[in-house]
Amino acid sequence: MNGRASLATNLRVVRALGMRSVRQTFRRPQLIAPIIVFPTLLLAIQTGGASAAVELPGFPPVQSFLQFMLAGAIMQSLMLAGNSGGIALAVDIEMGFTDRLFAAPIPRFAIVLGRLAGTAALGLFGALWFLAIGLIFGAEIESGVAGALLAVALATAAACAVGGIGAAIALRTGSASVVQGLFPLVLVVLFVSSAFFPQELMIEPAKTIAAYNPLSFVAEGIREPMISGIDATDTLEALAAIAGIIILGLALSARALRHRLRVG
Amino acid sequence: MPAIVAEGLERAFGEVLAVQGIDLAVEEGEIYGFLGPNGAGKTTTVRMLTTLLLPTGGRASVAGHDVSAEARAVRRSIGVALQEAALDPLMTGRELIRLQATLQGIPTAEGRRRADDLLERVDLAGAADRRVGTYSGGMQRRLDLAAALVHEPRVLFLDEPTTGLDPVSRKTIWEEVRALNNEGTTVFLTTQYLEEADQLADDVGIIDSGRIVAEGTPESLKAEIGNPHIQLQLAEGSVAEAEAKLGEIGRLLPPKDGKKVLVEVENGAADIPRVVRILDEAGIAVEALELVRPTLDDVFVAKTGYHLEEESEENSEQEPVGA
Amino acid sequence: MEATAQLPAWRTNLATIGALMTRARNELLRVPGAAIPGVLAPTIFFLGLNGVFGALTQLNGFSTGSYEAFIVPVSMLQGAGFTGAAAGVNLARDIEAGWLDRLLVSPTPRWVLLAGTVLAASARALIPATFVIAIALALGAGFPGLDGLAIAYLMVAAMAAIAACWGSMLALRFKSQSAAPLMQSGMMALILFTPAYAPLALLSGWLADVARINPATDVLEAARQGFVGAVTWADTWPGLLAVAGMLALLGGLALREMRRTAV
Ligand SMILES: Nc1ncnc2c1ncn2[C@@H]1O[C@H](COP(=O)(O)OP(=O)(O)OP(=O)(O)O)[C@@H](O)[C@H]1O
Ligand SMILES: [Mg+2]
Repeated sequence: MNGRASLATNLRVVRALGMRSVRQTFRRPQLIAPIIVFPTLLLAIQTGGASAAVELPGFPPVQSFLQFMLAGAIMQSLMLAGNSGGIALAVDIEMGFTDRLFAAPIPRFAIVLGRLAGTAALGLFGALWFLAIGLIFGAEIESGVAGALLAVALATAAACAVGGIGAAIALRTGSASVVQGLFPLVLVVLFVSSAFFPQELMIEPAKTIAAYNPLSFVAEGIREPMISGIDATDTLEALAAIAGIIILGLALSARALRHRLRVG
Repeated sequence: MPAIVAEGLERAFGEVLAVQGIDLAVEEGEIYGFLGPNGAGKTTTVRMLTTLLLPTGGRASVAGHDVSAEARAVRRSIGVALQEAALDPLMTGRELIRLQATLQGIPTAEGRRRADDLLERVDLAGAADRRVGTYSGGMQRRLDLAAALVHEPRVLFLDEPTTGLDPVSRKTIWEEVRALNNEGTTVFLTTQYLEEADQLADDVGIIDSGRIVAEGTPESLKAEIGNPHIQLQLAEGSVAEAEAKLGEIGRLLPPKDGKKVLVEVENGAADIPRVVRILDEAGIAVEALELVRPTLDDVFVAKTGYHLEEESEENSEQEPVGA
Repeated sequence: MEATAQLPAWRTNLATIGALMTRARNELLRVPGAAIPGVLAPTIFFLGLNGVFGALTQLNGFSTGSYEAFIVPVSMLQGAGFTGAAAGVNLARDIEAGWLDRLLVSPTPRWVLLAGTVLAASARALIPATFVIAIALALGAGFPGLDGLAIAYLMVAAMAAIAACWGSMLALRFKSQSAAPLMQSGMMALILFTPAYAPLALLSGWLADVARINPATDVLEAARQGFVGAVTWADTWPGLLAVAGMLALLGGLALREMRRTAV
């Protein structure tokens, strides 16, 4: 070994792996389709089926239920993006591609970071998709372009954060079908957050869990600029929640990597 | 009546003509070796003969039934072990054979008895209750073969049954195929191994780019090629000169690599001194020399202009004569 | 050399369907955790929808005050759709691996091969349905009565069969597991573009229009009747008719694809 690679070299590696994972993601319908198809379907069904909910006493003032639900669809899409990133990494492990990377003189974290670039691209794509859907079907973004940009940025960052956890699970289990099986779990944590409905109107015990669920904060951070205006507190809370998830993901990934190298 | 007949059989995949007009007739009780390189159209032909793929031209019949019009009847008479041996990794070997027996309409008790016999026969009795996912490649091939035999088919199709197997496993399969053939089963076997076709087949069809380029018994094909040849390895740079000299005593064959010269000789070993003398007089140093009798590869070269296999010790009938 | 003992055709067909169902069951039993997603997904949907949208029953137009009771049959049918579509995904995997060839070179009639897949899915769908019902009853949804329960189970089995036909048709056409999202989302749309979340009157205009022509609405109403009221023939026969129609259509299309594999 000839000492540590320079930062520039490492960044180049991350970029190369990132480009690969972005390309791979957009070439595989299995990875991209669920991220768009399922949240779109659910958005249509929920806005069509529960639109009368806006008349419930205590529902926040919104232009339409669709305007309210957009953040929920974006949340669902970015969670699935994190899951898809994990599946892609697990497939790489199953096919032996990561072994090739582990054998190369590159830092281990570059493998995870490169993978997250693909996840971020998916998150960004999902957020833009749902903004477009909202605009097409008449939902306005109350705080304008700045608010839209804020929502998209938060969604992309959150996709990365969730992707870190997906990557950790992929590294730990090395099995695509296990990561795939987490798909319903994604829905569980979302259902017990305020992503789909105002927290005050939810039913116990979901109501109490949602009050503390970090995803509630992320959802509110994405939703506020759409339904009212940019709010510093909501934005900071969302960022804090994202940071927390990132730290958790990194810690789990580091452990899983060590485990993987130990057990081979 | 022949067990397998094909007349002008064709298959196109869009623009790609995978099989371009194949004629063949395989007699009852024969082992037919279908020899060709990767992508020649072997699997495509087998899939048509086994009713898995409809021909886009020509016709074929197996066991007296047309493969398109009487697919059910064909399926009843054939056993098939495909190239990509699809075995359910979650099933045990015994379960797989029993399922196959059910598919063939064999009563349960009888199916169980045959499963036990067959597993014994292919030497898998000990592993019969293990999941197929834990089998080695050779064990999986033997299981696949056993599954194809459960209804005692009249015609057996084996698509590259030994590709990827080690020499010992390969011999095991060969022995099994011979035994089945002795019991009267007609066998249609594809292979990319010359030796396999040579050793096993009564008749060989050589396929290249979707066409049969030669057909006959291995002996007749080799005899058609004619005489043995002498293969010489020379020092760098003297090949052209040697070819010029040797061209006078016999036909030159296309060499396998740039340092070799191949010259056909009529009298076999008796011609070696003559060749050595000619080269010696011309001052050309010979690094190695051997007498080579015709193989199916030579037949292949004669028909297509290139070699089927890279040169390897295992499947050339060479007699080293010193240097 | 011809196989000596041959069963009559109908017994061979039955035995083959049984063997194919056994294989599907093995898959469930031998892959650790294989049953979990199929059970988990509808259960989560049930609990989640209930927690999130439970307040909807405060709106006028609900015939029941219990959102659990209203949503149970939706989750049961969703479990059936999910399980049936998964059978299609498994068939696509079998095609990719070459397993289907093993079945196709046998003299078994093609409808028997399809029936094995479809009936296995029907049987398998009873597991998540039972799970969801148990949880709903534990959470206080009223017992739908034996007749209501029987009809709900019948609709679940039928919906799983419909989903399996749909999934198999796509599997045979695309011969690839990448069609999985299409299989799953198609069934999700069929089952949820109905009065799933709220009665017809409360749906927004376009969804109400779609729900009115969606045959799955009749299936859902038939499955739901015992949970929200009394079982009547008037709520039952449209469900049976819808199920028969969809089975005939999708079963026919799937069988057509199964017969065209050699093309
Ligand atoms: N489904 C298909 N679609 C398009 N082309 C195909 C298809 N199946 C086969 N081919 C083409 O037909 C040709 C013959 O293929 P085939 O599989 O029959 O060859 P083979 O002799 O069995 O080769 P191998 O020794 O590699 O198994 C190849 O060029 C292949 O690419
Ligand atoms: Mg082949």
